[in-house]
Amino acid sequence: MSIPRLLAVVRKELCHITRDARLLFLVTVAPAFLLVTLSYVFALDVGRVNVAVRDLDRTSLSRDFTASLGADDDFAVVAYVQRDAEVEPLLVRGVADVVLIIPHGFADAALGGQRTEMQCIVDGSDSITAGQTIGLLQQRVSDFVTDLLGQRSVDVSVGLQVSDRAWYNETLKSLISMVPGMLAVIMCMPALALTLALAREKETGSFEGLIATSVRGAEYLVGKLVAYVIGGMVSLVLAWLVATQWFRVPFRGGFLDFLLLAAAYLFASMGVSLLVANFVRNQQTAMFLILMVFFIPSFFIAGLITPVSSAPIARAVASALPTTHFIAISRGVFLKGLGVVALWRQASVLVATGAVSLAGSLVLLEKKIS
Amino acid sequence: MLLRIWNLVLKEFVQFVRDWLMTTFILTLPILQLILLAQATSSRISDLCVAVLDFDRSGDSRRLVAALDNRRELNVCHFPETLEDSHYLLDQGDATLAVVIPTGFAADLADASTEPHVQLAADASNSLPGSIALQAANGAIIEFAAERAATRGATAISPVDLRTTVRFNPELNARLFSMPAQVGFIVYQVTLTITSIGLARERELGTLEQLLVMPLRRVELVVGKAIPALIIGSVNFVCLLAVTVFVFEVPLRGSLALLFALTLVFIVAEIGYGIFISSIARTQQQAILLVFVLAMLDMTFSGYMVRVKNLPLALQVIAQVVPFSHYLEIIRGVMLKGAGLDVLWPHAAAMAAIGVLVIVVAVRSLGRSLD
Repeated sequence: MSIPRLLAVVRKELCHITRDARLLFLVTVAPAFLLVTLSYVFALDVGRVNVAVRDLDRTSLSRDFTASLGADDDFAVVAYVQRDAEVEPLLVRGVADVVLIIPHGFADAALGGQRTEMQCIVDGSDSITAGQTIGLLQQRVSDFVTDLLGQRSVDVSVGLQVSDRAWYNETLKSLISMVPGMLAVIMCMPALALTLALAREKETGSFEGLIATSVRGAEYLVGKLVAYVIGGMVSLVLAWLVATQWFRVPFRGGFLDFLLLAAAYLFASMGVSLLVANFVRNQQTAMFLILMVFFIPSFFIAGLITPVSSAPIARAVASALPTTHFIAISRGVFLKGLGVVALWRQASVLVATGAVSLAGSLVLLEKKIS
Repeated sequence: MLLRIWNLVLKEFVQFVRDWLMTTFILTLPILQLILLAQATSSRISDLCVAVLDFDRSGDSRRLVAALDNRRELNVCHFPETLEDSHYLLDQGDATLAVVIPTGFAADLADASTEPHVQLAADASNSLPGSIALQAANGAIIEFAAERAATRGATAISPVDLRTTVRFNPELNARLFSMPAQVGFIVYQVTLTITSIGLARERELGTLEQLLVMPLRRVELVVGKAIPALIIGSVNFVCLLAVTVFVFEVPLRGSLALLFALTLVFIVAEIGYGIFISSIARTQQQAILLVFVLAMLDMTFSGYMVRVKNLPLALQVIAQVVPFSHYLEIIRGVMLKGAGLDVLWPHAAAMAAIGVLVIVVAVRSLGRSLD
């Protein structure tokens, strides 16, 4: 392999990328753009919950409770229900997410030390939000009761204290964990561009022209890879800026570590797309294949939203996807402040994937040329 | 005029039948996609790995570990020796939750004057499993303590009980939320692709010129192109709805006729978008790219994964002009809540208004690009 020839190929590829506006967009700006839109799509935070209250008790205590619900931004009391028949339409119309029913004698029972029951009816059509809403409401009720009993110096302790901390993302905000994960998913766009470019070279016939030059197969492939990894690094920095400046996600790790690990990921994903490109004839198929192989599975099995499944087949597919490892890396560097040393497992898998698929596509290419 | 449109529609169908490979794709791929996605979204989060650091090693601490392990969400799988080890497990993502049971846990629990202090630390770098693990562990520990207290004769139960009833989806099954949206999204994709590519292909192949020299008026050309897309979109919708209701048992509580009628309105609005795209795009590839970008934007602004009211305010405003966001309210409302037109009319009206507007703009823009 000769270095000057390799550099010539790299220069040619970089020229291609910068000259074609569509390709330049795909390689550099598209990931940052997608990061902004898709992060909102998957931000599963509960916004403000709209509550309708049916107060059968009408005491100062029940009013206190209602007021305590609306005290901050989690809940907003949107309606006071007078008749039972009004409950259902409120939920069907989506005016209220929850209807809270405070029973007769609520104050008497709560103050007299008897047990009483409050009822809440939740709109379950959005299951994730509904689950979180129920948890939030239970928290509010138990806070209110503890306050109430504390004022009357009644000990409600169960004889045990639990302190819980959410590490790495103290407020448990979904966006904070979704943005670094999504950054990993969208970084497959430069790989998509590489496959498209290879397929186009075949379509337009300029591949034949390249073979006729003195460039060897290895130089051709490595040169392409290097050029697109460089383009990918540019888009990575843009996406990183979006994550830290627009979304204000904390970046606790080292920037150099992040760049190094990202280069390993780009190497792996570009390697796989070189391999895929060997089997496609036109750009349409290339696009379709990359979307099916990289993009769609990345959302559902790579651990972006739910953790990687423990079922053997799903687990095997997930560990074969470079995105799975880069999601762990991205969250590790952003939120946990880990470096290359702590993430060596993921990094070595990525480097190995890249090396194996590069070797594989080299063999296939040599066969095709000869 | 009707005859001329009829002939054009006939021509389109002949083309579909000839290009049988694409037609099978259009009819079967969406169903496959729907099934795959339904499988992916139904899995509830369970068996999150827990690391327990038990400094007490007593009968009580082991019972607490068992109580944690018995939770469906949790699975105790690591017993690190030191705090550093448990920290390492969280860092590596090998455990989602670390529980620290202090020395003297059993003794403090038995003594009414002292309270043992259990510590939980969750890996919240992925917030959903992190918060689920915390909630489940908290629940298990409080239950464990309450049971212990009850055996000592103490009433440690809160005087106010919150009884929850979940309407429309009692098991909080994620499928019920995502599948109607998926049906809508696939119908949207198929209609938009067929309409926008159809004209772009005629242009690319040069057959558009031939169509233009025929005694067809512009409106007839547009209607003739729109009718096949409308039929294919509706057939797709019926198939997908059948799979959703009969295979995946998502309820259809409202009126099927209403849902179908409003779906037709939705499809017509999307056909308008398709015609608009084909008036801009010169090649099929450009058309595909435009559809892709539009689909991405619509996913963001439609409440496909997250409801519109949870979006930032600026995005909520944009969502109002996206027909897909109104259609999602309609299909979820009819299927899950059994809502009727009395509830859904604002969304239906908005969708129809946007549709009419888009079609007017699209036909004008197409007319200009044809002349």
